[in-house]
Amino acid sequence: MRPATARGFRDVLLDEAAEREAVAASLVAVFDSWGYSPVETPVVESHEVMAAAGPEGGEAAPFRLLDSDGELLALRPDMTLPIARVAATRLADDAGPLRVRYLAPVFREHASFRGQARQFTQAGVELIGANGPAADAEIVALAAEALRAVGLTEFTIAIGSVEVLHAFVDAAGMPERWGTAVLRAAHARNLPEVRRLAAEPGVPAEVADALARVLRTRGGADAIDACRAALSACGRPGAADGLAETFSILEGIGCSDVVVVDFGTVRSFGYYTGMVMQVYAPGLGLPVGGGGRYDRLLAAYDRPAPAAGFAIGLERLMIALAEAGATPKAKRVDAVVGGLDRAACFAGAAALRQAGWRVVLACGATSLELVRAAERVDAFEAIEAADGALYRLDRAGGRADRVGEPPDQPPSRRFSGRRRP
Amino acid sequence: MVRTAGSGDVLRVAVPKGALFDDSVSALARAGYDVEGLRDPGRSLIVRGAEAEFVIAKPTDVPVYVAYGAVDVAIAGRDVLEEAALEVVELVDLRFGACRFVVAEPVSATRSAEELYRHLGQIRVATKYPRITERHFAERGLQVEIIKLAGNIEIAPLIGIADWIVDITATGTTLRENDLRVVEEVMESTARFVANPASLATKSDRVTDMAERLSRAVAAEKGA
Repeated sequence: MRPATARGFRDVLLDEAAEREAVAASLVAVFDSWGYSPVETPVVESHEVMAAAGPEGGEAAPFRLLDSDGELLALRPDMTLPIARVAATRLADDAGPLRVRYLAPVFREHASFRGQARQFTQAGVELIGANGPAADAEIVALAAEALRAVGLTEFTIAIGSVEVLHAFVDAAGMPERWGTAVLRAAHARNLPEVRRLAAEPGVPAEVADALARVLRTRGGADAIDACRAALSACGRPGAADGLAETFSILEGIGCSDVVVVDFGTVRSFGYYTGMVMQVYAPGLGLPVGGGGRYDRLLAAYDRPAPAAGFAIGLERLMIALAEAGATPKAKRVDAVVGGLDRAACFAGAAALRQAGWRVVLACGATSLELVRAAERVDAFEAIEAADGALYRLDRAGGRADRVGEPPDQPPSRRFSGRRRP
Repeated sequence: MVRTAGSGDVLRVAVPKGALFDDSVSALARAGYDVEGLRDPGRSLIVRGAEAEFVIAKPTDVPVYVAYGAVDVAIAGRDVLEEAALEVVELVDLRFGACRFVVAEPVSATRSAEELYRHLGQIRVATKYPRITERHFAERGLQVEIIKLAGNIEIAPLIGIADWIVDITATGTTLRENDLRVVEEVMESTARFVANPASLATKSDRVTDMAERLSRAVAAEKGA
């Protein structure tokens, strides 16, 4: 037996765990301030439920299990499907719109040696039962605010629209097989293949021209104008109106520095039906998060309702923060409390905690031994409880001075991260 | 950890060694990039030019470098991209490095593999490209057993390890020399200019500029 974690799974410990917790807490606090309520769903879902989203519904291959009854189960590959299931069943009678948030581990199956984790944590929101540009803008603005709140200053949210591509395919009036091939090539982001298909005989010149250019169009309001002109030429003038309105709301609330319109951002084969978004950070080759609108997903569970949401990958966000030098400092222990009288140790530690200190107990340890114990956990102070009082120890283990009653501010706050001299 | 190393002003570009190397270097030169260091890299695998930093890579590693953001952009064969099946954005068909993927069998085979298939229900195929091979035969509805080899695929039928091979051919010379004939086409491949999706979003101007310059360079070459 080799005591190791299974491939693609890992332990999160100590500093990393503390930093992750701090970042997750900031994200969750922002989601909460926008009125999103927490939900928890089972880690395991029936495979049938996962499959209802369609063969290419999920983001990636789910991690499958077989239970003792022979039923096929899947570990949730994201939180969107479980929440859609909840919304379509237990919360179906809710008048809506429904705003929910989550911080949860999700699971994906990956082949060996791709350096990909099979478990990772997503923080995200779903806005169910609301439609239109204001709802789309809420999702994007919330993602931007959450990322800023954790200290990420430079990031890009690319927004696009699945409708635009569908409009061009529709305008071509070509056989369905051709349309599917175009969507598949666009989804695989194979632009030479899209151009090749656009050049096939029978494709109207204006559609061919639009397909060759629009997937490469990115920018601000100018990119939307260029796309609208191409759509008008193809007789589908309205297909980018929603995205244009969403963008103008985002511009109005000061998000235009982080939001870029990118018509190459398409996830047409997922469950996405309207706006799609991807979040990128400098120094990270993979998206930090993503999401969009998926108005048909709830219909797969017999309760049609519009819905949109996004998820941020906590592991990738931690890398982006590290790259930017913005990892939150893990909180240090304020004091280790020792002394020969155990009851006095507990009572002294309780008094310090009452004053906001973060305290570790070391009952029985005194003088130099207690100083060593404090050094081991990198505590600011070693404090000995004796004769109904608390004494600060100096480096040699001698009593330096008495802690006031009630105790003063915890040193972590006083020194704000600096080491005690 | 997944990081882009090139966070400065220059793009990081992976250039495949081997068959596509010379054409890649001259395409970059015609697009106006400083490739002097690439022409004679010696032993160094990372070469800095004025506007770009070049990383010389094994062809099959190129899609991996791009997908994980180790480089911003790269030149890679369509075949290698298809086999890797990783998330990269294909921007330009560079049109050089053309080759075909074919299914081949020995000319001297006494009974064709198709005939064996009727009796045994299975054909053994040796290849360096298991994913492309698997997809091709799945589309054809033919049951095959795929054996992945690292090289010298053309001798596989001769030594009896497989009935068919799936391999690349540019001119067909190697196939003929090894007494093989083409059974059918699988796909065609040319070199592509590809980008990491995050680099395309965050360094959009420089990536797009490079795509356009390369696109003009290859168009001029083919037009001439």
